[in-house]
Amino acid sequence: MQKTSFPAVLATFIASYAFWILLTWSFSSQELIVGAVVSLIVALFSARFFIHEKAFWFFNPLKILTALFFWLGVFMVELFKANWDMAKRCFGGCKNVNPGIVKVPVDLKSDYAQAALANAITLTPGTITMEITEEEGQTYYYVHWIDVQKPSGKEAGDAIKGTLEKWLRRVWE
Amino acid sequence: MLRIIIDVLIAVGAFFALAGTIGVMKMPDTFSRMQASTCITTMGVIGVCLGALLYAIFVMGSPATAVKVVVIGALVLTTNPVGAHAIAKGAYQAGIRPEKRMETDDYRRDFDE
Repeated sequence: MQKTSFPAVLATFIASYAFWILLTWSFSSQELIVGAVVSLIVALFSARFFIHEKAFWFFNPLKILTALFFWLGVFMVELFKANWDMAKRCFGGCKNVNPGIVKVPVDLKSDYAQAALANAITLTPGTITMEITEEEGQTYYYVHWIDVQKPSGKEAGDAIKGTLEKWLRRVWE
Repeated sequence: MLRIIIDVLIAVGAFFALAGTIGVMKMPDTFSRMQASTCITTMGVIGVCLGALLYAIFVMGSPATAVKVVVIGALVLTTNPVGAHAIAKGAYQAGIRPEKRMETDDYRRDFDE
């Protein structure tokens, strides 16, 4: 675990204050002051969980645009395809499933990128990340797959991750 | 015209939610049932939230509601995979196995036996 540093607290404070304003959506001075106090307390306690690396990595317009394009564009297309596949399976009587757990190598280094990739894999219907391990410097995911087409290893990784990993590396590394 | 788009979006959300529900009822084992439930939390939530967003902006004309709808969608989409991951891992480690032995099961190979 990391120590709490001032930039980390500031970044967490900005993020939680933005969330407060979005949730209340009123700009009277009372709301704004209470929000600032609450966000400061939250930031002091949770900065060391929230910020692991550079504190202001995300306040970079290019990264924000890339991330938005990834989550709203590339990822949505993948999501829709996977959902359609899953819906066909469900309406087809749930018979043509071939579940299994495969082990997939991942080349991302940053904590955020690994978490985001695991979440993206879990969000896609048909795959759930169950565990992340590290063996000899190489990160592996254990992924439950509803329709195992290939045995573990690089090919299964390509089939599961698609272009997600490339985009996440562009955002976070 | 606008109402048609909103209705279509909500209907798409409801369709995928229905598919996910059927999957949850009929899939053969625990993990496959969890897979089907992801359908509900992704396309179901996205479709309904998009429809509600358009409704809030153009019909109600209230930015506060629109922002809240976006926040609800974003929160569901970010918190769901964390829960799904924890439930799947917990179920596996508590000893729940599919009736039919899975063809490839590296998790069992590396951790269990």
